[in-house]
Amino acid sequence: MEHSTLGKDTPQVNARAKVLGRAQYAGDIKLPGMLHAKVLRSPYPHAKIVRIDTSAAAALPGVMSVLTGDDCPKSLWGGHHKERSILARDVVRFAGEEVVAIAAVSEEIARDALDLIRVEYDELPALFSPQESLTAGASNIHTGRNNIAHAIAFDKGDVDAGFSQSHLVFEQTYSTHPQYPGYLEPMATLAHIDVDGRLEVWASTQSAFLARARLASALELPVSQIRFHQATTGGGFGGKIIEDANSLVAGLLALKSRKPVRLVNTRLEDFQAACSSLPEQITLKIGMSRDGIILAKEVRIVADCGAYSGLCSEIMHVSAMRSDNMHRLSNIRCHATLAYTHNPPHGAFRGFGGSQMLFALNSHLDTMATKLGLDVVDVHLKNAIERGEVSAHGWVIGSTGLKECIAQCVESVPRARGESEAGDKKRRGWGMATAMHVSGNRTIGNWDGSTVVLKFHEDGRVLIHSGEADMGQGAATMLSQIVAHELTIPLVNVHVVAPDTDISPFCLGALASRVTIAGGNAAIVAASAAREKLLRFGAELLKVPLEQLELANGMVRSKTDPTLSKTIGELAKLHIWREGGEGIQAQGSWDAKTTMHNNLKGNVASAYSFAAQAVEVEVDTETGQVVVTKSFVSDDCGKALNPMAVHGQSNGAAAQAIGWTLYENLLIESGRLTNMDFADYTMPTADALPRLASGIVESNDPNGPYGAKGASETAILPGAPAIANAVFNAIGIRITELPITPEKVLAALRARADQMESARG
Amino acid sequence: MSKHTISITVNRQRHQMEVPARRLLADLLREDLHLTGTKRGCETGTCGACSVLLNGELVKSCLSLAVQADGCAISTVEGLANGDHLHPLQECFMQCGGLQCGYCTPGFLMAAAALLAQNPNPTEAEIRKALNGNLCRCTGYTQIVESVMRAAQRMNAN
Repeated sequence: MEHSTLGKDTPQVNARAKVLGRAQYAGDIKLPGMLHAKVLRSPYPHAKIVRIDTSAAAALPGVMSVLTGDDCPKSLWGGHHKERSILARDVVRFAGEEVVAIAAVSEEIARDALDLIRVEYDELPALFSPQESLTAGASNIHTGRNNIAHAIAFDKGDVDAGFSQSHLVFEQTYSTHPQYPGYLEPMATLAHIDVDGRLEVWASTQSAFLARARLASALELPVSQIRFHQATTGGGFGGKIIEDANSLVAGLLALKSRKPVRLVNTRLEDFQAACSSLPEQITLKIGMSRDGIILAKEVRIVADCGAYSGLCSEIMHVSAMRSDNMHRLSNIRCHATLAYTHNPPHGAFRGFGGSQMLFALNSHLDTMATKLGLDVVDVHLKNAIERGEVSAHGWVIGSTGLKECIAQCVESVPRARGESEAGDKKRRGWGMATAMHVSGNRTIGNWDGSTVVLKFHEDGRVLIHSGEADMGQGAATMLSQIVAHELTIPLVNVHVVAPDTDISPFCLGALASRVTIAGGNAAIVAASAAREKLLRFGAELLKVPLEQLELANGMVRSKTDPTLSKTIGELAKLHIWREGGEGIQAQGSWDAKTTMHNNLKGNVASAYSFAAQAVEVEVDTETGQVVVTKSFVSDDCGKALNPMAVHGQSNGAAAQAIGWTLYENLLIESGRLTNMDFADYTMPTADALPRLASGIVESNDPNGPYGAKGASETAILPGAPAIANAVFNAIGIRITELPITPEKVLAALRARADQMESARG
Repeated sequence: MSKHTISITVNRQRHQMEVPARRLLADLLREDLHLTGTKRGCETGTCGACSVLLNGELVKSCLSLAVQADGCAISTVEGLANGDHLHPLQECFMQCGGLQCGYCTPGFLMAAAALLAQNPNPTEAEIRKALNGNLCRCTGYTQIVESVMRAAQRMNAN
């Protein structure tokens, strides 16, 4: 198979367009007569809208449309709860909520028009924390419902007996803060009414079909009246799954103005409009035997979804139970509460609730190992679930390379401790952590499948139609590699058509690390169907029995007589030009052999990915600053179809985890974000990071395409606790509230010094 | 809003045009000249996606007014390749995985081009420092740094 790229470092198939500056993101696309949209947002976290005067804005020359909540359809939108109007109606529930939308002939005029709108608000008391909003007697944030957006409870085995049998029972509360997705391309949509009166949309999204469904429901249109294109997407990291109002506002403006409308968030707006990750307070109580076996585990979570719950119910669900499945557990209990507040809404972020709980869990295991005088690495190894086992929640572990991941990363980052090489007030420390994630997830609905349609050109090149999304992670490359491999043709002979709901088969898109396993398997099924067609037609043309033919080097040929052959191009052409002919098309579908969970039990994913990370940090005891000096992430992705892409995912994930752990911190004061730009919300730059390194473990999952599982989401999960554990290792201080800022480190060092002083005195 | 006639050379092509005083250079390139390879990512000069070369110097086009570029020569990502022949930086970003979503890529390419013009043989630390005005959220920078190092080697070998 000389052309196959499977398992080889393969540049992205759309890399050339990207380095040439030719890739078209939604904000790059223009249509004749296009209007530019702007949104006026609420300055208050909670207020009644008394009146809105848009007359001066509407009178400004060049302004074509000014819309308020009164112009919106009655239908509400949202995730678990449909609870949000496209533009606020009567009341605003967070600072940043969309209130008025404007479309004008230029961006400048639209911006000028915003200044001419007068909104009279009656500010109302606001609730800024779950503690406040869950207090008895707190006012309801949404009419007719209390402030609990979602609750989860389970109790399996005998937790109390497990604790009483334990040698050590330890309880600690951890808190995690929200992280802004920080994709470099802010949300962007172009919408217009096509010649047939249908709404046509190009947007930056992780799922064209879910975005279409959301748009249809919010605009009260049949899905068939919307054509949704995924434009080149400049990063998503979960933030572009479903929750932005950007495409809804653009769609509404296009419907009302009957003109093309482009709405591109500025970064400031994107900070206000996009969901950041879900902040959770996690109380963990674990009982362990003398030798480090977990005998019982109790979890309590209180999470703040902000004003609208979006995907937070599902995210908290992941926090509540996913990490249970990486260990051999019998006794587990959990109670989790998702509370509404008047903070900006939270939502999906790479890891989908995993990062929060794995920070708590890995920190906890490290502390308990220290207390028991055990090596934390051994504690992880002893409790790790093995291939073939079924977890407490009914997850069937078809493959796991967790132990190999642990070995690989521990070997790659030597355990250094003590004074740094500089010999000053800096202390070095070492830490590690482990993680698991799903590859696909049936809990979205009773389908976790994918379809690929292959269409052959008369020259033998092949179009791949899939609705799965490439947001930069390399989905199009993965699909191309598989189809080219199966059809024995070079990569340049296949082309992935970007998701377009009119043309692409229905797919769920890039979420739950499902694209490689679902889309990849569908590509294999489709290519097999195509191969079958080619061979049968070849047999007919060449008058050779089917079993004597093979598909190789892009041709159907006799296994015994190489002169008897037809190229795929010849076959594709001849397949049309004959009596009763047609162009060659083949399609294939694949659905995960998983089950909808019932009462929180069931095998929801066809495979599970694992990862481990080891880091070395340097803590400056004078300034409190923590610097990561070495980092190695090992990802068990089953089989690396494109190792370069997997390393890229792992390193990118490590960088995001470092940012979250040390300095990315959305400052929300009385419900208002105060750092809405990259100068004040600081993401890692090239000179702030060490040379991040990563390794691949291939556990060859039986359900994966060629053994592959999802890569990338797992890799972000162990970063925060690995760093927290390394900080503890360096200076003996356990930080339980993220982020690990210099202020917290210094305060803890000071408190310890005071304590030692008073103990001496 | 006052309008001004400016003369500007972009990727070796001369343009004379009338622009409003508040037109940003980034918008002139993207909206008026349809050179959408230059991206806007922050409007505050912190993400570097809009980086272009102005008379050979790296600038952030979202912080520059179009009128300030009057009489200047601008290079954007669209001018980096020679026809279909890619610049070594473009080749190496592709081959080393120096890009994922691609949105920051034009800015990184221009920043790296500016670096290599001044320092043809930079160390890893020099590369990281030179690129610290550009944000990438996908790669963690490891493969971007590798891309620049390999491009430098290739350019020096020629």
